[in-house]
Amino acid sequence: MTRRVRLPGDRYRGPVTKDPAAPLWLSAVLLRIITLIFAIGVVVNHQGEYAHTGLAYATVGGMAVWTVVTSVYYLRDTGKAVWFIFVDLLVCVIAMAMSRLVLTHEQLTVLAVPLVPTVWVTAVVAVGAVRAGLSGGTLFGMVVAVANYAVRGYVDTDLTRDMVLLVAIGAVLGLAATTSRQSAERLAKALRVEAATAERERLARTIHDSVLQVLARVRKRGREVGGEAAELAEEAGRQEVALRALVSAAPLESAEDGTADLRPRLQVLATDRFQVSVPPTAVTMPASAAGELAYLVREALENVDRHAGLGARAWVLLEDLGDEVVLSIRDDGVGIPAGRISAAEHEGRMGIARSIRGRVSDLGGTITLETAPDLGTEWEIRVPARRAAR
Amino acid sequence: MTEQPISIMVVDDHPIWRDGVARDLAERGFEVRATAGDAASAVRIARTVRPDVVLMDLNLGEESGVEATRKITGELTDTRVLVLSASGEHNDVLEAVKAGASGYLVKSASAEELVAAVRRTWAGDAVFNAGLAGLVLGEYRRMASGPEESGAPKLTDRETEVLRLVAKGLTARQIADRLVLSHRTVENHVQSTLRKLQLHNRVELARYAIEHGLDGEPD
Repeated sequence: MTRRVRLPGDRYRGPVTKDPAAPLWLSAVLLRIITLIFAIGVVVNHQGEYAHTGLAYATVGGMAVWTVVTSVYYLRDTGKAVWFIFVDLLVCVIAMAMSRLVLTHEQLTVLAVPLVPTVWVTAVVAVGAVRAGLSGGTLFGMVVAVANYAVRGYVDTDLTRDMVLLVAIGAVLGLAATTSRQSAERLAKALRVEAATAERERLARTIHDSVLQVLARVRKRGREVGGEAAELAEEAGRQEVALRALVSAAPLESAEDGTADLRPRLQVLATDRFQVSVPPTAVTMPASAAGELAYLVREALENVDRHAGLGARAWVLLEDLGDEVVLSIRDDGVGIPAGRISAAEHEGRMGIARSIRGRVSDLGGTITLETAPDLGTEWEIRVPARRAAR
Repeated sequence: MTEQPISIMVVDDHPIWRDGVARDLAERGFEVRATAGDAASAVRIARTVRPDVVLMDLNLGEESGVEATRKITGELTDTRVLVLSASGEHNDVLEAVKAGASGYLVKSASAEELVAAVRRTWAGDAVFNAGLAGLVLGEYRRMASGPEESGAPKLTDRETEVLRLVAKGLTARQIADRLVLSHRTVENHVQSTLRKLQLHNRVELARYAIEHGLDGEPD
């Protein structure tokens, strides 16, 4: 089994600098070239009938030059300036406006001969859509449609149909561009998370192989030597457990769908006195519920620190029963004497219990407490597993 | 210990730790027969020296201690493996136990705890801590949620009860008191949860090998 080690920040520059809409830019450029050929065909077809055939060819020539300029510009890898795209739109509108000089009045109104650029102008709508998404596409579609009305000088069903088509093309393409950028972003994010995880694993291995080994040894020997060495050993032991919990817990990030694994959020709470036991597979739940439960466990452990007596130890057990998640927090401290619970409540010692109870019922769960003098306390929190269908 | 001391082999890729543990155990009357720094030589040396108990680290560089555990417990029926790990890489511990290890002890355990765990392992008892109990409980529940006909082992109600208490940090003695059982019965329940898991694991591996033509039959 070979494991590939990736260096973060190395392979992942790709999606960031290269526009994920690059194939859409290419389509916009191709659309302009194809529609240019169509426009040339239309002019050839109508030559001699125009008011100014020469001007018609001059316009088409200008369109050809502009097609070359924009093709080069849009296919470059660098960013596409907004000003250039508006210049592009302006050029297209001018080409349409030239039709008022080229076409006879009859051609323009009664015969409905196509304007000189014909469908060539849809390419600029595509450009607006690819550059600026839904709003850009719709705006450019509107501008070209309005220019169409203005050049013709009247409004009818055919022109309105053209407008609907232009705006729709802009909107649909714009949506496609936005979607492809978003999914590229998501992919890049997933790759970053993967790289971070790999790096984390590498660090964990290194720490395990070096620092943890030495700390474990110091703790063990120090305890045997006794005296001041034993105190140092205790300190080393605390650091060892804390460090181990840190490097062994999975990252705390929530998944894309807003769920999170509860286990790592509990594992980081482990110390030399608090042990955390979890199942081998992920216990997924809404990230907010996971945060809330982790908070409750932290509160309960702080309570152990404050009230259970010096050196009391605690165990946290997380169980996933499928339809229910069970959290047990047990300590071996002094417990709460039977008659003392109400008194404790007055002292505020049970205030924490009340606040925990409120939070648990917010999650739709139940909480029970078992305690007896010198037998410690044991909390059990049961929360229904509301997970997305998998 | 009476006439014959318990023989030990220490497997760990970290020399400071390996020699320290070997010295501790030798001072307390165990016979440290060998040490090894990687999985391959651990298996090779174990075949020769046949120790009673192997103390196995799981992070051994290239090949993991899980595989070494599987080979050693598979070949040497009289040798038991006790995982001694600082890793906290929980799933590794579960895998090692499924592969045949008799238990798990954290490296930060005191010398007394280590000696007690080695004796218990040698006697055939399972060495559990709360973390391992949580993992084993979860593993049984994971298998139970699989397809019905998979033949996955199940815990009895009593075994579940005992494992939950182990996972909540109770000692075998405390569990016996609470459930009104003998200490021995509690130990047997814990052991049985491990044994069923290991048996199932071996059956699964064998089935996998046969299905994929890896069972060593010549073509």
